[in-house]
Amino acid sequence: MNKIGMIDEWYPVGLFSQLDPNGRDTWLMGEPIRVAIDGEGNPLVTGGNGRVLAVCVRYGHVWASLGKPDHDLFPIPEADQPGRRLVEVGVVRVRCSPLRAVENFLDIAHFPFVHTDILGSEPHTEVQNYKVEIREEEDEVWATQVKFYQPQAAKSASGGITTEYMYRVPAPTCSVLYKTCPPRPSEWDVITLFVQPLFEDVCDVWPWMALYDDDTPMTDLIHFQQTIFLQDRSILENQIPTLLPLDPGMEIPTRADLTSVAYRRWLKRHNYTYGAQLVAQ
Amino acid sequence: MQSDTAGSWVPVALSSDLPALAVMPARIASETVALWRSASGRATASADRCPHRGMRLSHGFVRGEALSCIYHGWSYAQGGQCLKIPAHPGLTPPETIRVVTYAVAEQDGVVWAAAGAPAGEPPRLNGFAPLRSVTVDAAIGFIEAAAGVGMNADGFLSPADAPSGLCLLLSDQGAGQTLVHVLIGQDAGPSARIAASRAVEALRRRAEALSTEGAGA
Ligand code: FES
Ligand SMILES: [Fe+2]
Repeated sequence: MNKIGMIDEWYPVGLFSQLDPNGRDTWLMGEPIRVAIDGEGNPLVTGGNGRVLAVCVRYGHVWASLGKPDHDLFPIPEADQPGRRLVEVGVVRVRCSPLRAVENFLDIAHFPFVHTDILGSEPHTEVQNYKVEIREEEDEVWATQVKFYQPQAAKSASGGITTEYMYRVPAPTCSVLYKTCPPRPSEWDVITLFVQPLFEDVCDVWPWMALYDDDTPMTDLIHFQQTIFLQDRSILENQIPTLLPLDPGMEIPTRADLTSVAYRRWLKRHNYTYGAQLVAQ
Repeated sequence: MQSDTAGSWVPVALSSDLPALAVMPARIASETVALWRSASGRATASADRCPHRGMRLSHGFVRGEALSCIYHGWSYAQGGQCLKIPAHPGLTPPETIRVVTYAVAEQDGVVWAAAGAPAGEPPRLNGFAPLRSVTVDAAIGFIEAAAGVGMNADGFLSPADAPSGLCLLLSDQGAGQTLVHVLIGQDAGPSARIAASRAVEALRRRAEALSTEGAGA
């Protein structure tokens, strides 16, 4: 579709820890951009014609906007809790719509088939009813009371458990997942998916985590998450059509897909259609 | 090419390249299909798009007599109807959930499929047997030019200077590619088979060179 409705949003364009004075060339919604660091240690992101883009630094990443954002980047209050380990997973390039990447992240029914013996396994395939809502005040999509049986839910989990999740979509190409935290039952682990839309059919996925896990080596945490995303990529690059269909009729949702249904509806309502396909096309 | 393949048989694979429980992508005219063989040995061609969330079914897996999608495991019968939605094990999927399937016929070691309703049986190989298949990076016209002879209406071509007993069965893959099934006399011995393979390899190189030149011109 087009980027009009999404131009004033924030998008991840790189890890702050990896900024380089020479800059790194990349793309944001079809526009070539350069992500660099200036003499004072601040990120400097320039657009195709050399204009300086709005930037901020949050959750380990540099965020930029092609337009004039009238709001701060969404909050993740848990990210500032002491004692969490912040994990910069890095980047995975996926030849798919940025919106399809987010939708896949919101989906649990694929765990037994795509993340076999890690996030799910047959015959534990049933998706119990859960709650989905669009929270009007925050203007976010939320799915709560999502439960799923997992053979190995996290690096810190040994053996199978029923894991509980909450999913949140605070921006069109970002999602935050809260997940049962085995070492601290009263807290949630935070796993995010920040998606940089390069084009309507290519994106860079920047996962990031804030976990209570003092034991697992950092490289194992990163490796675990990268394994998961590479498995997802094999799906995302083979969906037809490439763009996310926002109008009903082209695909068949069931009760397990209610988060996806709400996400699509919310995108359409806001005209967040970069990477989407509408019936009119 | 494509308009007259709608409704006619297309040689999509050699039987030996599709063992039981295998699934592979194949082309029928401009359509990509998931070609699969059930445990009991029946070959089926299903549309290569799962109606749930659009995943390619050619990435799926076969269990028993059904093809399952690799994304959420929805499974489909040979007739196309959805049999199972694993996220809702207690639910019988409504009749309306189905994938399109294509006519398939298998004879003389070749799997044929057709979009639409084909008139009659696929052509016989008449004393030939399949040797192997090769994908050539050249459209059929370049293969004909390289072979010095045209293909007949059923897709068969006997290269002018090839050893006798060699015949090619061509199938347009779109995007400048052709699937070539190499056929050889039923009772050809090992040396004839090696000679045939060499001849096809040389033909492939000539056709691909012509295609490159053609594209550059
Ligand atoms: S896309 Fe095929 S089962 Fe979901
Ligand atoms: Fe996944």
